[in-house]
Amino acid sequence: MKYLLKEETVCADKEFELIKITNNVRNFVDESGVVNGICFCITEHTTTGITVNESLPCVEKDIMETLDRIIPENYPYNHNHYLDSYGTIGGNAPGHLKSLLTGNHCVFPIIDGALMLGHADDIYFCEYDGIKLRRYMIYVIGE
Amino acid sequence: MLIDAHVRPALFEPICRDRYRFNSRCDAMHYHKMNPSGMDLLKKQYNLAGITGVFLLPSDYSFDTGITEISNDDIAEIVAQDPNLYYGFATVDPRNKNAATELTKAFEDLGLCGLYLNTARLHIYPEDTQILAILDICREYGKNVIFHAGLSFERDALSKYSRPIEFESVISKYPGINFCLTHMGWPWVQETSALLLKYPNAYANTALMNFDGPYQIYRKVFLEDMGELWVEHNLSEKILFGSGSPRIRPVRSKRGLDSIGFSEEILEKIYYGNAKRFLGSKEN
Repeated sequence: MKYLLKEETVCADKEFELIKITNNVRNFVDESGVVNGICFCITEHTTTGITVNESLPCVEKDIMETLDRIIPENYPYNHNHYLDSYGTIGGNAPGHLKSLLTGNHCVFPIIDGALMLGHADDIYFCEYDGIKLRRYMIYVIGE
Repeated sequence: MLIDAHVRPALFEPICRDRYRFNSRCDAMHYHKMNPSGMDLLKKQYNLAGITGVFLLPSDYSFDTGITEISNDDIAEIVAQDPNLYYGFATVDPRNKNAATELTKAFEDLGLCGLYLNTARLHIYPEDTQILAILDICREYGKNVIFHAGLSFERDALSKYSRPIEFESVISKYPGINFCLTHMGWPWVQETSALLLKYPNAYANTALMNFDGPYQIYRKVFLEDMGELWVEHNLSEKILFGSGSPRIRPVRSKRGLDSIGFSEEILEKIYYGNAKRFLGSKEN
């Protein structure tokens, strides 16, 4: 049994952005040599997400605009205050809440050496609090 | 065009190589759980907010600590990376015997464009003779001055030394120097407003960070603590945009200020014109 971890860095160009990472995940599965197993993709941050959806510009736009409607920037969130433990203003409550909705990971099987995605599936790293240097993990378990 | 007139470069990667000094700086300035930021990343963040100019404010209380948290050389090093973007301010600890020499060197050799002092950290009042000696040098070199005003979150900072009204005597004594009071002097916003109203050489910046988020704090300060027409009618040429980064990200700070309903004409002054005028003044 193999247990293989890779950490990838990513930096959005915008404050809020869906970044397609499908090929990075697929490439690591290929490199791993695992024939049958499972692959996890996990973000390391609490104001980002990992999600799976269809890579169409209209769908991507709808996802981000819907999240903005549900979680508006200007709501008086409890997190919007001075945080002495950081010495900063907690201005990223929407990022935390959007992260809650898309979750921090996705999981796919590896069958016959290939990542088994649905025909419309793409994997996205979701930036909700950019612009920052971010990291996510790809973890492969299998034989 | 947008100038951020209040950035503390404590986390700028080029000056974070010495880990001990970096940690000492963050501890003293009260920045925690934050990592150094690369210059390319910072530029992306500035571009996101539309920022075309950045005031870099240093930090020196070495009389007490023996360590200059952000030195004039640090500031000059960053400015050299992009002189069109960065406006580097000098500082000295006025209690040090070599303060005058160091400030002269910062102006003559490093080419820094003004002075920043935090009297709350220094534990001396603005009209202390040690400060006046430093201001005399600023007058001689035609350099303008940014004073921390109001509450400071930095270690050992005492607000009694930085209440806005304490700056009136030096603002009055040096009419040829432009003085910018940071943070609108919060919580003494009305004292700051009074100085802005009376003295042509008094300015203030918007680096507000205390209660609430940017959507709430700007509304509270500019529309409630101040009369809602004070900026529009009297103070529109006296206020500079300042984010207070890294305590708050510039794009958020700007979004908060954008949201309170100032006219485009007023915002243009706050975001750009007033900063340029503040920088341009010379002793009469």
